[in-house]
Amino acid sequence: MLKVYIKELLELTRDKKTLIFTVLLPTLIMPLIMFGFITVAGKITKKAIDESLNYAIIGSQNYTEFSSVLDEQEKFKLVEVVDLAGAKEKINTGDIRFVLVIPENTQQRLNDGLSAEIELFYNDSATTSAVIFRRVERAIKSLKNELITARYTKLGLTQEQGEAINEPINLVKTSTADERESFGEKIGGFLPYILILIGLQGAMFPALDLGVGEKERGTLETLLLTPVSRFEIVIAKFLVIFTTSFVAVFLTLISFGLITSVFGPMMLADLGASGSTKINGLLDSLATISIGDVSLMFLMLIPIAAIFASLLLSVSIYARTFKEAQNYMSPIMILAIFPLILALLPGVKLDWMWASVPITNVALAIKEIFKGTIDMAMLGVIFVSTTIIAGALLALCNWWFQREQVLFRN
Amino acid sequence: MLEVKNLKKRFRLDSKTIKENKKKSREHIDPREEGHWFNAVRDVSFGCDSGQVLGLLGPNGAGKTTSLRMLSTALQPTDGQIVINGDDVIAHPLVMRQRIGFLSGTTSLYHRLTVRENVQYFGRLHGMNEDELERELTKVFDLLDIHSFADKKADSLSTGMKQRANIARTVIHQPEVIVLDEPTTGLDVISAKTILDFIESYKGSDVPVIFSTHHLHEVEKLCDRVALIDEGITKFNGSLDEFRALGNTGNLYDVFVNLVDEKEVA
Repeated sequence: MLKVYIKELLELTRDKKTLIFTVLLPTLIMPLIMFGFITVAGKITKKAIDESLNYAIIGSQNYTEFSSVLDEQEKFKLVEVVDLAGAKEKINTGDIRFVLVIPENTQQRLNDGLSAEIELFYNDSATTSAVIFRRVERAIKSLKNELITARYTKLGLTQEQGEAINEPINLVKTSTADERESFGEKIGGFLPYILILIGLQGAMFPALDLGVGEKERGTLETLLLTPVSRFEIVIAKFLVIFTTSFVAVFLTLISFGLITSVFGPMMLADLGASGSTKINGLLDSLATISIGDVSLMFLMLIPIAAIFASLLLSVSIYARTFKEAQNYMSPIMILAIFPLILALLPGVKLDWMWASVPITNVALAIKEIFKGTIDMAMLGVIFVSTTIIAGALLALCNWWFQREQVLFRN
Repeated sequence: MLEVKNLKKRFRLDSKTIKENKKKSREHIDPREEGHWFNAVRDVSFGCDSGQVLGLLGPNGAGKTTSLRMLSTALQPTDGQIVINGDDVIAHPLVMRQRIGFLSGTTSLYHRLTVRENVQYFGRLHGMNEDELERELTKVFDLLDIHSFADKKADSLSTGMKQRANIARTVIHQPEVIVLDEPTTGLDVISAKTILDFIESYKGSDVPVIFSTHHLHEVEKLCDRVALIDEGITKFNGSLDEFRALGNTGNLYDVFVNLVDEKEVA
């Protein structure tokens, strides 16, 4: 069995496709794509925040104070327009980013203690449009506060009393979750999603190569005629696929860790986010993820990799051709993704009900480990039940491999 | 010495064929199909002494490949007996595999391994120790003139080189019987000659060689014995001279045609 295992592994390491899917994709390509995406998205947002905004005001004479406030803002540049139609056209061509329309009675309504409605026109389909609204709001914030304070004074109220009118009961939120738990709840679900899919991807090509690939190339029959039992051949092939799947997951986790520690601080510095209390708190909480926690995550991924290896090898052995086997891969991907999506749904938490749903339970368990709130008894049950499923699938694969109708189906 | 006695093999028919057969009258159903079963090999017997070459003949679908797959232990017979030098192959397939060398036109090499790695791998799987393997490897590589491309990957070789490497893989463990299933099918003249020379080299040795073929000139050139299978039954089992004597012209083609149903030949 060991001879078959070593030979299969040696052959796979000489295959470019396996190296790409098992080593390059998880270690370099996936993390770089993710970090690249985050970096580009961050830079686009930063650029949108920093860029000079050309704008126009129609009816500025109706509330001069408002116009002056915007005029004083840095990176806001007033452009003359004739009317609203012309302004809208300029928005669509990109000459200006927004136009404000101040109605005639604005000043009067404010003087009377009423609220005034100023319309902001902008192109909502632009990728950075959300930033425009926030920047204008921020620009007029001090003016709004001045108006509110003046109204409180006119009514003979202190600032505190005035605020109490708006918020008679102030509900103060205090989370009992620490930074790690809170962060884990928000993004911890994506970690198993990525790891489990990488595990499946890492097993897929070797499974195709070692099953139907050998059938098509005519080497399987030769192997069957050696004094190695079919059980040993199945176990050796299973172990090779399991190894590649697990190596892909292992490399992904290591690579993410390394890239985060090397590129993460550079990226944050570039975006001007390093040093902030929130980021530092987050980094501190991430540092509390121990080697033990990471080992537990790996432990949970072992039976999952075994499930994929047995399932994919069974399918690959059954298929007549490489193409037929590839057709079976899409439903398997869906079967794997669906329980992972379940684990991402809001409100789905690890309890005894979800602990009985294969794959979903492992995804939720990894999330809980990430958050630092795992129930060890439940973890044990999930590990054992997933291992039993993996064992059953491996037994099925072995039974499948003993059948002449399957081996000589073509 | 190899003996094959009353070999039988049946496969379960797929549900579609069973359904279709139910609608047909008996005379329109393949005589080998019975209820849920397809009797691919109904009664095959032949034998071959050490140093002899037996040619297994028959039209397409006659049961040659199934018989040879049973002989090589890839398939488990439904009934019958296969004996190599007095030992039962069916009762101990795992052990007997060490004593059989099998090569067909479709079996191949691991193309990402070198020729040497391929041959070493199969030698090790057959339980050879490293010293024995190295000694035998040198001998076989000398015999087949493989040394010049021994360290090249299999996928970079010409068809002829691949065939020589395949032969080396087949005989590295010094089998007691060599089984070849249509080994020259699809090969060019030079590559086919390599195989035929290899078969010829065993004449007079202590190893019997069984090979199936459609090329009667190969039988004429190499075989001491002939077995002809049609519709899963042995129609002839005897020496080449006895086979030739069945016809008036001395032409093997005429004898073959006479023994096999005309519809099968067409």
